[in-house]
Amino acid sequence: MRVARVRLLQNAAASLCILLVLVAIAVGLPAIDRSLPAEQAVPPHEPYEVGAGVTVVPPAGAALDVTRTRPTARQGTALFVLGRVRYVIVVAPFDGELEGAVDRLRRKVINADGQLDAGLPALTGTGLVGHEGAYTTPDRAGRYAVFLAPDVSIEVTVSGTETELAETEQVIEASIATITYQERL
Amino acid sequence: MTVTAGCPGGHGVPPRSARTAPVHPAPAWARSHKSLLLPAFWLVALMMAVGAARTVLLIRHSIAEYPVATTAALALFAVYAVPFWLFVSALDYLEREPPLLLVIAFGWGGLVATTVSAPGSTAIQNMLAKGYSPGFAAAWGSAIAGPTVEEIVKTLGVVAIVLIARAQINSVLDGVIYGSLVGLGFQVVEDVVYAVNAVAAAGRGDDIGPVVATFFVRGFLAGLWSHTLFSALAGAGVASVVVRTDRTLRFRLGVAAVCLFGAWFCHFLWNSPLLAVEVGDNGYLLIVVLLAKGIPPLLAILLLVRSARHREADYYIAQLTALDDRDIATPAELHVLGLGHMRANARRYAYARAGVMGRRAVQRLQRAQASLALELSRAQTTHDPAALGQWRDEVLRQRARLRSLGHPEAVAVDQRRGSMRRRMMILAVTLLLLTAACAALSL
Repeated sequence: MRVARVRLLQNAAASLCILLVLVAIAVGLPAIDRSLPAEQAVPPHEPYEVGAGVTVVPPAGAALDVTRTRPTARQGTALFVLGRVRYVIVVAPFDGELEGAVDRLRRKVINADGQLDAGLPALTGTGLVGHEGAYTTPDRAGRYAVFLAPDVSIEVTVSGTETELAETEQVIEASIATITYQERL
Repeated sequence: MTVTAGCPGGHGVPPRSARTAPVHPAPAWARSHKSLLLPAFWLVALMMAVGAARTVLLIRHSIAEYPVATTAALALFAVYAVPFWLFVSALDYLEREPPLLLVIAFGWGGLVATTVSAPGSTAIQNMLAKGYSPGFAAAWGSAIAGPTVEEIVKTLGVVAIVLIARAQINSVLDGVIYGSLVGLGFQVVEDVVYAVNAVAAAGRGDDIGPVVATFFVRGFLAGLWSHTLFSALAGAGVASVVVRTDRTLRFRLGVAAVCLFGAWFCHFLWNSPLLAVEVGDNGYLLIVVLLAKGIPPLLAILLLVRSARHREADYYIAQLTALDDRDIATPAELHVLGLGHMRANARRYAYARAGVMGRRAVQRLQRAQASLALELSRAQTTHDPAALGQWRDEVLRQRARLRSLGHPEAVAVDQRRGSMRRRMMILAVTLLLLTAACAALSL
């Protein structure tokens, strides 16, 4: 049982080509992606569409991480960056009570080996009822808030070091208060 | 005596198989253990091992967090794959594909293509967001990135199979089969991941409701015209490069590029936000949109498969025709042998006339006739009198059995009505499923 040397070489060359294409897709494309800046400026004082009819006025001085921001008609995510502080808003379809929405966030935090405190009731400036508190994970600490709108839940997480959080607390609080839900027709 | 390009009817006109889709039977010396010496085999083995490890890592967390829902997703989509697998692997009745290659095709799709595509697809979507806007990436990202990355990686699976066992790619139909199984593997693993993601997103704990909904929407409503179909088209292009040696390499590569682009376009159309309707908006509208997007490529690819099957059947049946021996195959049996529904019809007719024994004898006769046709075609390149004699004896044995049962010929009866009844039944079941889907999605 032998295979001709020429055939072996051709087979090896073709296999190498397949491997190179796979590496280019799995490693090369992400490398190109990482080499391009992900943060883009957002117009201050203008409501930004997070998704599913939810808008927010970004904090002053924040940049938008476009790789983590995806607005759609039924759900959406927006990630604002202030220095090293990450301010994330996730809108997702939800038809339960506020406790259920908080539980969903709690499960995500626990999955990341973190924990959520009991929290307190919260209210946005536009009248959305919610719950807010603090959370910790092995590598980050921060604050969370969950608001409920018809058909969607709005999860807000703000993470960074204690000092960074304290520095940005005021502008982010002001931004959270602007979260608005407008039902689509 | 064998033929190379004789007409099934013996009128001196080359059969369709010789004109537009040559068939190159796998030679008798093509053995699987020879593939072990090829670098391509070890590359595929390595990639599948890495892909399996990454897939396990991916769903390990889901199994720990949602054991019931994840197990249900794995079980449902594993069962879902069985009829697809049986259907696809039975497409080539006259020359069955080696099971190991079918497993490799499925494994490449499920383990390699999924894990390689995910980071590449995400990267392209991110670049779209950076170059245009997050809104553009959200709307068009999956339509552009998904087909671009996934169709290339899946098609490489068929190319890898060519490198491992080129002699087993005998016709365009073989490319369709391997491509379909690569697509099926991809579809099954992707659907499992979607199902467990839906469980997590629902936020109701270890609940199988989202799994069932995903199974219904992605398995049934979207499953018929998904990856299995796209990859079948791309696989046909790869097989065309291998078997159409009567044409120039440039022409064959052109055909392969057109097939790959066809797969890309079908996938793009499927993922595109054009005519998009969200699940939960309107069940009836969703069904209409799915049908409008899915049926044209489904019909186009089914026509391709039908054409490739008939051409291959022409070729193999010509081998038996040339023997001109009614003990081996009568003209009516030759007509039946090339068509799947006619073979089934002949078995049913035998059952009606001679019971279970009759049906079994017809089934064995058909199998033996197909194997004899294959050995006759192989005899053109490598003569193996033992194999030839073995299948000739088996045909004669089953013929004698049929005669003793009073049903000497494995023919189909009442062909038109039988076929129409079958079509009506398929139509009724489809309508029933669509009605159920409309009702479920409207609730």
